[in-house]
Amino acid sequence: MKMRTALIIIAIAIFASLGFAPAALGTTKGQLSVIIDTESIRADEAQAIAHNLRAIGVSADVRIWEWSALKERIQAGERQIYLTDWGSAYFDPFDIVVPKFRTGDRGNYSGYSNPQFDAALDRALLAVDADVRRDAYFDAQQILFEDVPALFGYSLMETEAARADVLNWQPSMDSRVNLHDVGLSRGDTIVVGLYADKIVTLDPAAYRDRPTETVIRNMFDALVTRTWDGRVVPEIAEAWKAESDTEYLFRIRKGIKFHNGDSLDADDVVYTFDRVLKEGGMGGRTSPRQGLLGPVEKVEKVDAYTVRFVLSAPFPVLPQALVHIQIVPRDYMERVGDEAFSRQPIGCGPFRYVEGRLDDKIVMERFDGYYGGSPMLPPVGTARVKRAIFRMMPDPTVRVAALKTGEVHIIQAVPAHVAASLMRDRNIQVKSVEGTRVYFAEMNCTRPPFDDLRVRRAINYAVDWDTILRTIYAGNATRLSTAFLPSGFGFNPKLAPYGYDPARARSLLAEAGYLTR
Amino acid sequence: MIRFTRAQVKIIERILATIPLALGVAVVAFVFMRAMPGDPVDIMMGEAAWTSEEEMAALREEMGLDEPIHVQLWTYLKRVFAGDLGYSIIRSRPVADIIKEALPATIELAVFSLLFALAVGIPVGVASALNPNSFVDRAGASLSLLGVSLPAFWLGIVGVLIFSMTLGWLPTSGRLAYGAHPTHITGLVILDSILTGNLPALGNALKHICLPAVTLGLGVAAVVARVTRSSMLDVLSADYVQFARAKGVPEGDVTRRHALRNAMIPTVTLVGLQFGSLLGGNMIVETIFGWPGLGRVVVDSIFARDYPVVQASVMVYALTFVLINLATDIIYTILDPKISL
Repeated sequence: MKMRTALIIIAIAIFASLGFAPAALGTTKGQLSVIIDTESIRADEAQAIAHNLRAIGVSADVRIWEWSALKERIQAGERQIYLTDWGSAYFDPFDIVVPKFRTGDRGNYSGYSNPQFDAALDRALLAVDADVRRDAYFDAQQILFEDVPALFGYSLMETEAARADVLNWQPSMDSRVNLHDVGLSRGDTIVVGLYADKIVTLDPAAYRDRPTETVIRNMFDALVTRTWDGRVVPEIAEAWKAESDTEYLFRIRKGIKFHNGDSLDADDVVYTFDRVLKEGGMGGRTSPRQGLLGPVEKVEKVDAYTVRFVLSAPFPVLPQALVHIQIVPRDYMERVGDEAFSRQPIGCGPFRYVEGRLDDKIVMERFDGYYGGSPMLPPVGTARVKRAIFRMMPDPTVRVAALKTGEVHIIQAVPAHVAASLMRDRNIQVKSVEGTRVYFAEMNCTRPPFDDLRVRRAINYAVDWDTILRTIYAGNATRLSTAFLPSGFGFNPKLAPYGYDPARARSLLAEAGYLTR
Repeated sequence: MIRFTRAQVKIIERILATIPLALGVAVVAFVFMRAMPGDPVDIMMGEAAWTSEEEMAALREEMGLDEPIHVQLWTYLKRVFAGDLGYSIIRSRPVADIIKEALPATIELAVFSLLFALAVGIPVGVASALNPNSFVDRAGASLSLLGVSLPAFWLGIVGVLIFSMTLGWLPTSGRLAYGAHPTHITGLVILDSILTGNLPALGNALKHICLPAVTLGLGVAAVVARVTRSSMLDVLSADYVQFARAKGVPEGDVTRRHALRNAMIPTVTLVGLQFGSLLGGNMIVETIFGWPGLGRVVVDSIFARDYPVVQASVMVYALTFVLINLATDIIYTILDPKISL
């Protein structure tokens, strides 16, 4: 008897599924089901996105991973939609949009490919003329916006805070803490609470992370530097000009001294770049900064105060790249060797190294023989404070507590939810700048369901970013229409992001053949 | 010829036995690190502008990461035997230097946490055992429960908010203020400042170690208090204690000389184990207080896949654990001559 009941149930089930089968083969593919993969740090955001997707009838789940593990699966093409981010150092889309979305490029995990988009990028990369480049980037932006290979998201503001007695303080978009320009109304030692756990080295050629750069740039100067909002201005270089698309001449300021009293000239500049560019250039090891210089082939000495950059291809962002290569003293370095240099570094920056430990604190003192720094960044002259200390303070609460007690004067990476209460403190000033990192959720464009443009657009209409950014990031974020940053070159401010429009999302999904709610 | 006592021979044997153990640990750490997805080049250069796959491959070759894993392991073991722990990939300096710099800070913190735990745990345990079910006992039990349950990341931050921010008694983080460094002898700044008679440095270092040591030690203090209480209760009801009392030995002497000494054996076992975890399990406290110790180095190196640093640190941890165990066993023999190694 039971057997028969079971058979009947099975029969009904088969019949029922047959009944639905024609519909599945024809216009509807049933419910769209996606898994959103993320690192734990963005888990809340992923849950919010899943919630928005469920509201339009998509079955959405969130899975959490360690980044390297997730990346391996993404690159194997096994993931559907996943939260990622990408940073830019050059204030130009070439180091975000190109690696992330050009066909087959290094960071292009989504498998997105559009020959028109690639062509637009190539035009921007090979041209030197700014207008041509801007037009090309505008085209690329438009295509990216229409193709939506990702659920485009936002960039976060970088919030920093300082004691009220710190004068002329302004956070930079490249997270540099410029201690040359700041003063103190009381005392002569300025202490910075760095958000990092450690810096990796004091050798300007041996690192790739920003905290290390933040410290190093107070002891070393480069040919050029940046204003806080990303404009390139001369520093060691007095002026430069392009001789052709692939050759640049840089004239070096005279009278610059290193901390040990040596004069800086073209030999030091050539030596610095050789060290970064050549295989095994750092005493047998290759500099991890080599890639920052793109197609720069070599740097030649023209005369004692002029050098020529020779490139294998046009590289319009060369000045931006040069901000990141700090000049080292050739004679000293050749005398003591790379390892001793990193223990007792000598630069030509506003502060000279005194002592420190990379995972504890770095102490430096004003260099009285400083040439003054960039004439475009007043005040020009020696540093205003006598001593500067960078302390490693990885815990955000402790960083804020130390600022409130006056143990430190400046802190980086203030959590968004703490910033509001800090602003009410009269002893503290809080400032935010536009970040240089893009956050989004990439979709695997090579496989169903996201190989279908309608589905990708539906997802972009389905997510209520305003609410997510307000609740999770305390409104400390800028909504982006694509992966182009407002701070970067060639950003089109007229391109409005996809709005929150569940109705439109539903109709796009239905058009693509999925059930909606 | 030098003659060794039996105990000395045993100790030497135990120390020699750590060598194969260290090698085994090195192999395990080596294999596990490489089983993790991603490699150091990938993580360091992850989104670096304009870096081609070829350049990344060249870097891997330079670091020997392109060789088959058994070849890498063999090269590594040969180096370790020669006393060379390798070169950190991310920090571009010898691993031995990194460990030499970070280990004293970790040891110092562990020792002070343990001292705090003993100074609080043993008296509370003894007092509870002497007055079972009294107010003291109940209060001790409740505090112990709190001590074990409060997570360090919370306790540490609350400590900073109260003692540094509100009261302003203690510094928020760090190990020493700038300019307070004593002459370097052992790298343990408190010991160094005592050895050099540098009182300002000593005061400064003690102020800095207070919060982290208490944060790390409170959980241990709680466990020590519970274990001391229960073993003390056992011992107090033992025949020889009753006999001592019957002989008319004053109660204070009974507690100190007869009971406490024997009751300490379980506590010593516990302390041995806990000291190992204080050394190896302080990453959170080190991060909160910006304490420049080995725990932070290891966690950071695991995330960065800095293989040589992780392998060497794991070996250091394993060795300290073994040595602490040995020390515990030696202390047993002192407390109770009936026990031999």
